[in-house]
Amino acid sequence: MAIIERPASDTLTYSDMDAAVTATSSYGYLRRPVETTGWRSWAFTVDHKKIGIMYGVAAMVFFVIGGLEAGLIRLQLAGPEGTVLSADKYNQMFTMHATTMVFLFVMPMAAAFANYFIPLQIGARDVAFPRLNALSFWVFIFGGVFLNTSWFLGGGADGGWFMYAPNSDTPFSPSNGVDFWGLGLQIVGIASLVGAINLITTVLNMRAPGMSLMKMPIFTWMAFVTQMLLLFAIPVITVALFLLMFQRSYDATFFSVEAGADPLLWQHLFWIFGHPEVYIIVLPSFGIISEVLPVFSKKPLFGYPFVVFSGAAIGFVGWGVWAHHMFASGLGPISVAVFSVSTMAIAVPTGVKIINWTLTMWGGKLWFTTAMLFAVGLIVNFTIGGLSGVTHAVAPSDTQQTDTYYIVAHFHYVIFGGGVLGLFAGFYYWWPKIFGKCLNERLGKWNFWLMMIGMNMTFGPMHIIGLQGQPRRMYQWTEARAGEGFFNLGFWNLVATIGTFILGVGILVFLYNAIFQHRKEPAAPIDPWDARSLEWLTTSPPKPHNFDRTPTVHALDEVFHRKYEDVGEGDQHEYVLRTSLEDLVLEEERHADAHIHLPAPSYWPIVLAFALPIMAYGVIYTAWLIALGAAIAIAAMFGWALEPADAEPSDFDPPATGGESSSKELANV
Amino acid sequence: MSDTKNDTPDNAVGDPEVQDDNIVSDTVKEAGAIVKDHLSDDHDHRDAHDEFGHTPVDEHDSHPGAHHTSLGLSNTKLAMWLFLGSECLLFGGLISTYMLYRNRHSEGVGPDQLWDIPFTSASSFVLLMSSLTMVLAVSAANRRDDRNTKLWLVVTATLGGLFVAGQVYEFTTFYREGLGYTESLFASSFYTLTGFHGVHVSVGIIMLMATMGMVAKNKISGDKAETVEMVGLYWHFVDVIWIIIFTLVYLIPA
Amino acid sequence: MRDSETGTSLTDVNLPNARGRTMGFAALAAAGLFVAGCAQNAPQDTTDPAGESAQMIYDLSWPIFAIAGIVGVLVISVITFVVIRDRDRGQPIPEQTHGKPILEIGLTILPALILIGVAIPTVGTLMALNDYDDTECVVNVTGQQWWWEFDYPVQDGCGGITEPIVTSGQMVIPADTDVLIRGTSRDVIHSFWIPRLNGKRDMVPGRVHSLKMQADEPGIYAGQCAEFCGLSHANMRMEVVALNDGDFETWKANQLEDYESPIGEQALAGEAAFVANCSRCHQVDGITDADGVPIVSRPDLQVYPGAAPNLTNLMTRNTFAGASWDLIDQDRRDEVWNADPDEFGALYLAGVEDSWFNEIDLREWLRNAPLKKPMYADPLQLDETDGLYRGMPNLALSEDQIDDLLAYLLELK
Repeated sequence: MAIIERPASDTLTYSDMDAAVTATSSYGYLRRPVETTGWRSWAFTVDHKKIGIMYGVAAMVFFVIGGLEAGLIRLQLAGPEGTVLSADKYNQMFTMHATTMVFLFVMPMAAAFANYFIPLQIGARDVAFPRLNALSFWVFIFGGVFLNTSWFLGGGADGGWFMYAPNSDTPFSPSNGVDFWGLGLQIVGIASLVGAINLITTVLNMRAPGMSLMKMPIFTWMAFVTQMLLLFAIPVITVALFLLMFQRSYDATFFSVEAGADPLLWQHLFWIFGHPEVYIIVLPSFGIISEVLPVFSKKPLFGYPFVVFSGAAIGFVGWGVWAHHMFASGLGPISVAVFSVSTMAIAVPTGVKIINWTLTMWGGKLWFTTAMLFAVGLIVNFTIGGLSGVTHAVAPSDTQQTDTYYIVAHFHYVIFGGGVLGLFAGFYYWWPKIFGKCLNERLGKWNFWLMMIGMNMTFGPMHIIGLQGQPRRMYQWTEARAGEGFFNLGFWNLVATIGTFILGVGILVFLYNAIFQHRKEPAAPIDPWDARSLEWLTTSPPKPHNFDRTPTVHALDEVFHRKYEDVGEGDQHEYVLRTSLEDLVLEEERHADAHIHLPAPSYWPIVLAFALPIMAYGVIYTAWLIALGAAIAIAAMFGWALEPADAEPSDFDPPATGGESSSKELANV
Repeated sequence: MSDTKNDTPDNAVGDPEVQDDNIVSDTVKEAGAIVKDHLSDDHDHRDAHDEFGHTPVDEHDSHPGAHHTSLGLSNTKLAMWLFLGSECLLFGGLISTYMLYRNRHSEGVGPDQLWDIPFTSASSFVLLMSSLTMVLAVSAANRRDDRNTKLWLVVTATLGGLFVAGQVYEFTTFYREGLGYTESLFASSFYTLTGFHGVHVSVGIIMLMATMGMVAKNKISGDKAETVEMVGLYWHFVDVIWIIIFTLVYLIPA
Repeated sequence: MRDSETGTSLTDVNLPNARGRTMGFAALAAAGLFVAGCAQNAPQDTTDPAGESAQMIYDLSWPIFAIAGIVGVLVISVITFVVIRDRDRGQPIPEQTHGKPILEIGLTILPALILIGVAIPTVGTLMALNDYDDTECVVNVTGQQWWWEFDYPVQDGCGGITEPIVTSGQMVIPADTDVLIRGTSRDVIHSFWIPRLNGKRDMVPGRVHSLKMQADEPGIYAGQCAEFCGLSHANMRMEVVALNDGDFETWKANQLEDYESPIGEQALAGEAAFVANCSRCHQVDGITDADGVPIVSRPDLQVYPGAAPNLTNLMTRNTFAGASWDLIDQDRRDEVWNADPDEFGALYLAGVEDSWFNEIDLREWLRNAPLKKPMYADPLQLDETDGLYRGMPNLALSEDQIDDLLAYLLELK
């Protein structure tokens, strides 16, 4: 890993903070891309904060794409015998909607927060492997784009995101859509796996002095559990996807029933991954609101160790419940009973979290910013999703509900209510940290209420539609099966469609707020929310090296305890502001570390990542593209391995005057 | 993870916590303390937990230039362990697939007809021996004995190469006897499982040769012994996986 | 699948029916409203059981819905209360406490206890639902893209069946009888689901899955394939028709009657058109060619997976093409679906008559089937499916041929 040392003399002068570093032009093309401005500073960066922002932007783009797909689906289903989409397009639409939302929006958005805030929350200068971090991001981007190019190359995948065999096999899904899907997810999986290894190492190894595991901010904890889940879940789906690819593109047999295959193999492999995936989606958001609630309640997280251990418990038990997606698959009553009971068991740690969040607010001093509203919204909606989950943990009951809109309602309350609302809480809470400006609060409240009403109008009626017997994944529903009473499918389908558009408007308000309005906002104070955790102990936005001085941690909620002092006596507590965060940060600047290591940017991550989709196109179209991609990958790996630890002095403009150190500052400090 | 050689003392200042031998028990202990802390109604958070802080040890491992880490385990080594953990699940999935399909083949081209146990035992033995030579390479690297490190790395790679050659021979034979990989479920899952393993061994050989080259040219920027050890970790893992595959695929009768 | 020993014993202790109800009535007005509101609901209403298995599921699940509802209301009320009470009114910073472990542990145990209470009846019901010992009648169900085939093997059950009966779209069963369904699939995974009679069960190619079905009263019960099965998944429906024993005997006898060529001129022309255009895939039992040799459909190998619905006695059914379209007109349909249990049998057995024949949909179907129901049947795009048709192709019949065929098909009863 490239580590660059900043000469000591620079540490005390901040006057040239924004002086741009440019690369010299007179040397070979392999000089390090040391620019700190322009597109190169983003494309070749290894700074976890820049990578985090890029993750966020990319995920947001995919969110919009996935949202448009959802809008089309709901338009099609607004009335009976919908004709907005053909059957084929509809099937592609719901497959790609789910795939996009899960793999290209929620997961990378959580990765964006994890990337940005884990190092800040544990007092590190960067992640453990900055170049691998850049690799993860670029692999994810190229994988996501590759997956979506299928729209222009014969249509997207049409087998549902669960892609059950044998319906995913060539005779049943003849277009290349499923090939794109399988290969795209393998690529995105590599990104997740590399990211998981990187972030786990970061959390375990890069904590600031004094920050034991039980003093780690809760978001870091939950992100850590998420990465552990990814570490073990990704290889399982990779096996499944590999077998699918091997069968479709190279005629191996794994799922063809004529050859004697058991179609349930795919289901087991898929759901062994797929269920932990659910927790991969929601745990980061749980972490975010577990940060937001204490801050805006002015109280520590209630039962911090319980929240931590319940998160870890979810991480473990989450591996033993996968077959509850298969209660109707014909597993036999014994297996179904076992998985039914284990599924109920996982409701306990989940319930613990809801109780702890509520008790965090209990007796607090609640400040309803937009972030707080989203956090409370999450508790409410996730509670609904969790409880409807309990109703189909009951296996016999589930045989009536599975594959109906009741399930669609359930998991949208979990994923949207429990996952996406948490991400939005994170946007509003951390925006000033990331960009130095708050999002507009007035627009924020509009955003919140529109989303809240929209989501409940969209997904609430789906409980009814499902219990009235409308199965999922039907490109049309018919008047003949719609019924007439209060619960008739026609009315509630229409309500759901209207709700979707309200939800969409809510998201547009956010996009307007984030893209346009936020520019007009004044600079945010350094401590806009009276925050509690370590990421606030630096400027906003943070300097490239995060902390001027590596902080030493004494307590959970370190920043709160640095700011406030308890002057009460005995059982009486009275907290007075002893030092403002401004002063604390100035204090850190005064005692800045003399030598700050920062990793040097590199070309190789993006080059290596670029090789993967080329190989994937090769698998679908022609073998020589595989060879080309492999050649690029090997070249990139050699370049990577041979890249010197530091940028050469000659990489800079003007070239660095060499001292005893061969390295030179890179960042604009 | 490599580093510049000129790690200054400044960097070590204020590193109270390095070695964290038993992270799990410490964490549990600490959680217990938080609970206890509340039971005894003691809310002085600033100092309440210091007794559980970790002994400040200024120990930069045995080699210069190592980065300070919270666990005292180098980042790369930790990452390698995590990667291998993930690999377990990968092979778990492939092995399960094979075990499900091992009996689903056409008449006359199943394991009973094809396996040549003595041959595969011999090649397994070769791979097993390569683990031994790998240990010797690591131990030589720890002694900073470059000559022997290089020697044992080459021997290990050669043994690995022999194993892969054996596998190629075996595949060719099976193919001649009518077991193309598209032939049956058994064939597809067998070739996928052993093929994945073969690719892992081949990657290992490349890693061994690259390490050997880097040791020879003194190109390793970090700690030599650790780099060799890392390759060793991977190599032993691949060996262990083979022992499982050999047992499940070849030895247990279908 | 059989676990009769434990199954029975657990059944006895499960389902605190009476107790649960007394408890629940007061507790959840909302659930009551829900149940009441369901009277005229969709034909696939899952909360309106009409058979033993569905009833067991319903008896198990509604108290759980009630419990979930109560917990939900409680949690949301507490949150609302806190949000209102504790909002910032300038109160001092509260005590920085991480909580009270005893409270924590209590609040962990409480949901655990509730869930144990839920788990026990769950397991009991599960075992009972999978106990097939007392079934008296067997129907084989086969899913195929995108229709269901039902065949009644020779058996002593079902009042005795001496020759196999093959039908599709509508499964006729004797009412108040436990029917064992043995299901599989010819291509991809389908799921057999008649919500008012039982939960769903996936029908997986290469495996045989069982399901018990029983309808308390004569009537027609709607169902829908519930596992996504490709292009026309939405058009893969089925209906279970329950008849009382006498009517069921009549139905059986009718199904096993010998085939007779029609008398009318147009219908005879239609028979010829059928033999020429349809009989390659569609079987009509007993039909012979000019030499008196029985015609057995040998579906083109190009039709994946090599079968098409058996059309013998087509007009005794009310639907065609995966039960997606009716053979009877709307008024007649309403009459049949809303009939009293006593009158239902006669109405159903009347089949399709000229006066209520829904010609429009069938005509459109014959004119261009893949236009009406999306199928992989476009000859121009068969390279995408390795040359395999899935579903009925456009036969390019002339309007005259269609008229003849309609006249002929109307005679098949």
